[in-house]
Amino acid sequence: MSKKILIVDDEPNIVLSVEFLMKRSGHDVVTATDGQQALDLLAEVDPDLMILDVMMPRKNGFEVCTEVRADQRFQKLPILILSAKGREAEVKKGLSLGADAYITKPFSTHELVEKVSELLQLKD
Amino acid sequence: MVEKWSLRFRVFLFFALISLMVPALLGSALWVAAGRIGPESIPHLVLWGGGAGFAIIGVVLWVWLKFDENVVAPINTLTNDLQTLIHANPEHGVETEPGKYLGLLAPTAREMAAALESARKKVGEEVEVATRKLDQQRARLETMLRDLNEGVLVCNMNHQILLYNRRALDILHYYGEIGLGRSLTSLLNTPSIAHGLENLTGQLEAPESADGLSAHVVCSTTDGRHIIEGQLSLILDAEETEATGYVVTFDDATEKLSELRKRDRMLRDAIEGLRAPVANLCAATEMLTDGVNIDDDGRKMFENILSAESRALSKRLEKLSGDYGEIITGHWPMSDVYSSTLLNCVVRRFESDDAIQCMINGDPVWLHCDSLSIVELTERIIRRIAETTSAMTFELEPSFKKDKIYIDISWPGDVIRSGTLDSWLDESFDDCLKDMTGRDILENHKAVVWSEGREEGVACLRLPLPKAKGDHRNVSDKMPGMDPRPEFYDFDLLKNRESKSFDERSLRELTYVVFDTETTGMEPSNGDEIIQLAGVRIVNGRVMSGEYFDQLVNPGRRIPVTSTKIHHITEDMVKDKPPITEILPKFHDYVGDAVLVAHNAAFDMKFLELKKASCGIGFDNPVLDTALLSAYIHDHSNQHTLDVLAERFGVEIEPQYRHTALGDSIATAEVFLRMIDLMVARGIHTFANAIEVSEKMVEIRRQQARY
Repeated sequence: MSKKILIVDDEPNIVLSVEFLMKRSGHDVVTATDGQQALDLLAEVDPDLMILDVMMPRKNGFEVCTEVRADQRFQKLPILILSAKGREAEVKKGLSLGADAYITKPFSTHELVEKVSELLQLKD
Repeated sequence: MVEKWSLRFRVFLFFALISLMVPALLGSALWVAAGRIGPESIPHLVLWGGGAGFAIIGVVLWVWLKFDENVVAPINTLTNDLQTLIHANPEHGVETEPGKYLGLLAPTAREMAAALESARKKVGEEVEVATRKLDQQRARLETMLRDLNEGVLVCNMNHQILLYNRRALDILHYYGEIGLGRSLTSLLNTPSIAHGLENLTGQLEAPESADGLSAHVVCSTTDGRHIIEGQLSLILDAEETEATGYVVTFDDATEKLSELRKRDRMLRDAIEGLRAPVANLCAATEMLTDGVNIDDDGRKMFENILSAESRALSKRLEKLSGDYGEIITGHWPMSDVYSSTLLNCVVRRFESDDAIQCMINGDPVWLHCDSLSIVELTERIIRRIAETTSAMTFELEPSFKKDKIYIDISWPGDVIRSGTLDSWLDESFDDCLKDMTGRDILENHKAVVWSEGREEGVACLRLPLPKAKGDHRNVSDKMPGMDPRPEFYDFDLLKNRESKSFDERSLRELTYVVFDTETTGMEPSNGDEIIQLAGVRIVNGRVMSGEYFDQLVNPGRRIPVTSTKIHHITEDMVKDKPPITEILPKFHDYVGDAVLVAHNAAFDMKFLELKKASCGIGFDNPVLDTALLSAYIHDHSNQHTLDVLAERFGVEIEPQYRHTALGDSIATAEVFLRMIDLMVARGIHTFANAIEVSEKMVEIRRQQARY
């Protein structure tokens, strides 16, 4: 079943890989290269899941996470943080700000795909 | 009240009373007799009675004069002599001529003085032995402190500094002398020290804690430019129940902390910065190897990602290794070494070796290195060169170029190929350097080594090392042990003083600056100027020989030959010196809130006073005058010049220092210290007392001047 995934990351190469992965799993993909752009796109795209980087220009992933959760419409939107910030404290911070899963870079593509489908199932 | 009157006055009153009583008693006796005999006897009684009365008064006065001259005055002089002998100058003899009516008093006093002197001599000898021992210990302590690579500050619980060493001044970047008794808060931001003390005194009160009363402190200098890191320990009293002070041993942490910050940042950047490209690489690789539904375009795209990310990754690694190189060298323990010390170590390694001969050329320079590893490396390299080229004589020469110190090793023979050199550097050292290789040693010094041809038939190996960090310009031409041993400490400040008002402070515990000026003449109001200003500080009854103030001053006018004859200061000597407008503010800082002391202070103060407007510096410190105090203490004499006082108190002024401002200041200070003992013996304990007698003396002088 095709879902809409919003990928937010300022690294084009990682976006390419993740986009390829998601498309191969049969999902539609929209990409954004910074936090602000992601927030702007959100209402228009209305994704089923968001894959979010943390260190980005304009607005970082933590800020985006907080703002998304503050919006009534997107309180149920699954957010998966995919970040190079891998310290335990940062993982905890991400999860407590409302992310549903936190995967640190480098990651296994299988794990990412599995986690995405798991989150999508939970949502349904 | 009566005790304060002088002996002479009291004796005088006594005789005056007798001479008043005589006519009174005689008068009343005659009055009664006249009543009995009848009025016709009155003229006879008046005549004979009056005559007898005047005769008796005359006799009483004559007896008083004799008594005063032959008993009271000698007793006075004897008392003064004895007091000087007891309190100030043990060599001071009992000079009193045996007063006619004193009998054996004077000879007995002389005998007693002799007995006292011999007893003192005996005690003195014992004290001298003990003192010598103490001096040795003190010298050892001073040497230790001076050569310690850490700064040391000792303070009492009021944060007054009791001790410091040179290194402390260097680390705090403080120029001049800190000044014993000054507050630590003027040098360091002390909250962390105060907090440490609070913790430690808390531990002291808790019964279970026994030793190990020390804490780690980090704080900054008051200007915030330097950070020190060190250890804080309490000094306990004899019962070990109460803290009387504390010691801070510290080092400059500014660089170390910034290195640590750099290292932290580098590690964080390394880990976070590597995650993303590695993630991209992994993801792309997994795509390619998984490769089920991948078309050619997709494959091409991932291959591009792979090559781009690999490039980015190597670039990042390159940068990391550069940063890392900077950091490891920052942490290797290195110190400033004199090249001749270093190279002599190398030469000594070959002393027992008949085959190889090393000699040192060129002027020695200071460099910054770990001397053991450099000596080991140099020895190793020389031996390898000898094996390879069969050269037997080597010349070692240090030289300074740009910001490196080059150690050049040259020998007659061929240049060493760089491959050979590299293989030597890969060999590791065994015992002393724990598996380090030559390459490690070079890396620690951020150094490389290479071989090149010098001139015909002579090859050379160049080893550039970091230059010295400290400034050794003055140290290098001084002999070791030649520097004076200034007094950097005063442990008596450990006793906590309650805050008494200035007037009630004991004369012995006040801080004084004893000063003197040399001038172009005697009339400050007529344009005479200061040409030399010197001062010494007295803290807790000791002259601080490490904290002299001594300055020649350009007076901006001619120096009369007559005055040069006295102080031997010529116009040539002062022409390059700063003017008084520069010197006086410095002197003001030096004085702080100490009591000013001078011999004939009024003269020197007048000069300072007249400079108030032009320098913008006024001295409102309390002032004591040794000439006035002497007039009080030695009231039997009218000789109160500095020379006389010095002789009276057994203070020696070396002839070449007499009439130099510093020499006279030191002499005045020594005289003043002995005077304090005499004054205390006479019941003058506090500063207010001393001011009171000074004022009395001024009043007496004023009256004398009137007649």
